[in-house]
Amino acid sequence: MQLNSDVSGSDLHSEINVTPLVDVVLVLLIIFMVVVPLLLQGYDANIARTSANPVPTQAEESQLILSIVPTACRILEPPEGEGLPADCRVTLADREIPAADLPARVAELLGGRPAEKRVLFLAADNRLNYEGVLRIVDLAKSNIDDLTIEFITTD
Amino acid sequence: MRLGEPSSLQAVINVTPLVDVVLVLLIIFMVMAPQLSKGPDVTLPDTAKPRDQGDERSRILVTIDEAGGLWIDDQSFPPERFEEGLRAAAGDDPDPKVVIRGDARLRLGQVRQAMLAIEQAGFHGVGLIAKRIGTETKGDRGHAAQQ
Repeated sequence: MQLNSDVSGSDLHSEINVTPLVDVVLVLLIIFMVVVPLLLQGYDANIARTSANPVPTQAEESQLILSIVPTACRILEPPEGEGLPADCRVTLADREIPAADLPARVAELLGGRPAEKRVLFLAADNRLNYEGVLRIVDLAKSNIDDLTIEFITTD
Repeated sequence: MRLGEPSSLQAVINVTPLVDVVLVLLIIFMVMAPQLSKGPDVTLPDTAKPRDQGDERSRILVTIDEAGGLWIDDQSFPPERFEEGLRAAAGDDPDPKVVIRGDARLRLGQVRQAMLAIEQAGFHGVGLIAKRIGTETKGDRGHAAQQ
C-alpha cells in the first residue's frame, strides 16, 4: 500500500494515490459480506384451506394441476447430487411427462395467461422428501418467474 | 509501514496500526456474521434458482428442524402453542411475512402441516427457504458429515 516507502520525501511523486480507493473498496466489501448472509432465498407458496383465503377463482378446466407421486418420481429420500432422479416423471394436466420437460410445458400452458392467473396447483404426496419437491417447484418456476404455487391436499 | 519524509519533522499520528487493528476486527466480524442468523441449524434444501425472499430481519422466521420440531426465531414451540407464538411474533405488524426454513431431510407432510398452521393463524402465503446449489449456510457441515 505504501508506494513511497523507498523514495525520499524530497522527490517528485507521480504515482496515483490508491489509498482512498482501497479504503472504499474494503468498506464496500465489508458491507456486502455482512448483508449477504441475512438475505433469504426461496419460493413463495400458498396453501389455501380456510374460507378467509379461498383458492384463486378459476374455472375448473383451466386449473393446472401438477401431481407428484412416489411411484413415478422416487424422491422419498433426499435426492442425491444436484438434480432429481433421471427417471423422475410427474403428471401435469393429466399427462405424465419427464420432470425435465416441466419448464417448457409449464411455460407453454401458462405463458399466455395474465400474471394473476398463472397458478400452478401442486398435489404432492405427503411422504415425499421436501428437498425433492422444492426442486420440482424450482423447475416449474424456472421459465415463469411470477408463477403462483398453491399446495393442495391430496388426501 | 514506514512513513516517508525522513528530512522533515513529523507531527502526524501514525494511523497504520490503528487501521490494521480495525481491519482485523472487521474480518473477525465478517467471519462470525453467518453464525449470527437466527434459529437452530438446519440443512436447507439445495435448488438451482431460488428467488429473493428479502432480509430475515423483516420476516417471521419459522424453522422446522430435522426431527420436525417447530421454532419461531430462536424459540422452540410445541405444536399446540405454535399459532399463539406466531401471533405474538407478528405483534402489530400489519402485513407480516412468514418464511419457513425447513430441513432438507423432512417429508413434505411435515412442512405442509406447518403451512396449514400458519394459514390457520391468519397469515396468507409463506416463503419456503432454500439455498442455491453450491453455496453454504449455517448448519451445512452436519449435513455433509451425514452423507
